[in-house]
Amino acid sequence: MDVGSRLAAALLLASMASGAAAQMPMSHDMDQMSMGEMAMPIPMPKGMKMLPGLVGLTPPVTAFMPGNGVDPMTLPAARPSTVRRLADGDTLDLTAMLVRRMVRGRAFVMYGFNGQVPGPLIRVPQDATITVRFHNRIDLPSSVHWHGVRLDNRFDGVPGTTQAPVPLGGDFVYRVHFPDAGIYWYHPHVREDIEQPMGLFGNMLVDSPDSGYYSRVNREEVLVLDDLLANGDSLIPFGREGPDFALMGRLGNVQLVNGEPDYATHVPAGSVVRFFLTNVASSRTYNLSFGGAPIKVVASDVSRFEHEEMVPSVVLAPAERYVVEVCFPAAGRYSIVNAVQAINHYVGEFDAEVDTLGTIVVDPAPARPDYAGEFATLRTNAAVAREIDHYRQWFDRPPDRIFRLTVRPQGLPLATVQFMSIDTAYYAPVEWTDGMPEMNWLSTSKQVTWIIRDSTTGRENMAIDWHVPQGSVVKLRIFNDPKSFHPMQHPIHLHGQRMLVVARDGVPAPNLAWKDTVVIPVGSTVDLLIDASNPGDWMLHCHIAEHLGSGMMTVLHVDPVSGAPRP
Amino acid sequence: MSPRALALVLVAALTGPFDIELFPTSTAPAVEGAARLVYAASPFGIATTVDGRSRYDVQITASHLPPPRSLGSYSGYVAWEVATDLSAWRRLGTVRNGRSTVGSITLNKFLLVVTVEEDTLGNSHVGPVILRGNSPSGWLQSFITHPLFRNAN
Repeated sequence: MDVGSRLAAALLLASMASGAAAQMPMSHDMDQMSMGEMAMPIPMPKGMKMLPGLVGLTPPVTAFMPGNGVDPMTLPAARPSTVRRLADGDTLDLTAMLVRRMVRGRAFVMYGFNGQVPGPLIRVPQDATITVRFHNRIDLPSSVHWHGVRLDNRFDGVPGTTQAPVPLGGDFVYRVHFPDAGIYWYHPHVREDIEQPMGLFGNMLVDSPDSGYYSRVNREEVLVLDDLLANGDSLIPFGREGPDFALMGRLGNVQLVNGEPDYATHVPAGSVVRFFLTNVASSRTYNLSFGGAPIKVVASDVSRFEHEEMVPSVVLAPAERYVVEVCFPAAGRYSIVNAVQAINHYVGEFDAEVDTLGTIVVDPAPARPDYAGEFATLRTNAAVAREIDHYRQWFDRPPDRIFRLTVRPQGLPLATVQFMSIDTAYYAPVEWTDGMPEMNWLSTSKQVTWIIRDSTTGRENMAIDWHVPQGSVVKLRIFNDPKSFHPMQHPIHLHGQRMLVVARDGVPAPNLAWKDTVVIPVGSTVDLLIDASNPGDWMLHCHIAEHLGSGMMTVLHVDPVSGAPRP
Repeated sequence: MSPRALALVLVAALTGPFDIELFPTSTAPAVEGAARLVYAASPFGIATTVDGRSRYDVQITASHLPPPRSLGSYSGYVAWEVATDLSAWRRLGTVRNGRSTVGSITLNKFLLVVTVEEDTLGNSHVGPVILRGNSPSGWLQSFITHPLFRNAN
């Protein structure tokens, strides 16, 4: 949009806004309205008005909810995750199925793996290979992607690239090899915008043979962060033909830890707890803290950090994992909170927003053994640094590829286009909350194409032709264009390989860990060094489920080289 | 559209969420400057405070700063993070011609001010303002007061 058009749009919007004040004197806080009164079933933040040009509109998709009318009371209640310890060569049956879950006191048909939400925690030793017999018993095609695991490409679980979708009632056998220690997760790679939030996610915890891989702690906890979008006691339906909420992704207002809104656990005073954190939310980036208890970050997606660090909070984008240790020094209640700065685009202000996700109750009895001293020691992981040393020779070389992230709208409501043309005078590097819920809801994958563009060829998304030989070390630069129609951060995930974030905005990263997902704020540039040792066709995509569903993906083809080492 | 409105729009369009235009004052009108916000080092790539505010280091690039003594009994230039209501000034660091990295910013919206000072290590500003600008988030305003709506015909 040129400057003149931008100003004209802004002026038109201003006139609409002043008209809105006259026409809509009542608050449109949807939480205060009954369903029958709603022109639009989207909860609006308190004090925020809907644009009059959007009132009465609905997304151009058919509403979809799991179960197709099945009475949820006829289904088994979802159960909490259980641990499945598997050894090399073991087999697991994993069934995606309909379950009953309660949200705000009402029963809904949702999904679960083996009837559990999250799915079973698969705990395996490093270098194990297991067989997973997947059975699709939900009402959509599905698959299982083993996120972060450098496994055989045939079992990566990506329909259209590595396998056909598993049809309703169908089965697929995966062989999953775990070459790296750490925390990983599994989820479908079909309609992630529906199947993930409805409950299809679970973790794999891969144990190192080194008993000193992590520091000693009193307790280990696996926490999966998620959210659901509800209005009152109703869940907001999904788009059957494609994702809605295509602009920002679906940011929920029901915060869940391990699938439940009231996570709580007890620990003795002085306990050191190691948390394995996974963000499985469709779009939300978390800023997590533990009621003021000190936090030490020790590992991320595919490895430990070169050295441990104390941090004030943990920033966790969709699909990322972090391993942190937290010391709870004294008896009391410690709230796990997500504290962010929301933006009210309509009045141009930041609003502090705090959601309590759960509680750690610290009992007075002292923890035994006492690991507080070990917690206070920041370890240097020499083995990690030594392995990375081999790759430092490529840190400063020019990028092999440069990708630009942008978006192309087509056919969005006029009021949305007008608002965006003025609102993007400022774009936050990270959108922590949904500051434009009705515009977001009305945008679908029919109207929004999210784009990875190769800066050299101009090709976009799946049209990018990107081949490298197995064993290559590839430097990829990704720039998140701030001048697009709707700039937003993107958590970019690369399947089946590992990578280092060697620089952000030209500043070398001082403390590295191997990653499979990297969040790129608006206007930022990241330099990634990819260890392309795993042959096959590997997706690179945004892990905001609605952005992926709106096209934001490409493929890295790692062409096999005879004799080249593989993970 | 008036030239001023056009200039404002162009500034909004050409700068990123991390860029700050710095404007000189009559004290030293030939001075030129710009600043860039760079996330402070963090294992997460995105540095935040516990309540979610971004933590930035500030890179200030300045040219034509005259010798401080030529402006009075001053010894150097100091950058300040200033609350939007001017209620609080916090020293960031010293500034020279070329690039100076000072930090760290933690306010959502702020003014970035460079003064010339006799004591460059002091925590209060005394000398005159040489450069000033505001955070990119300053563009986030009520539409009724937004610069894009002023001076536009």
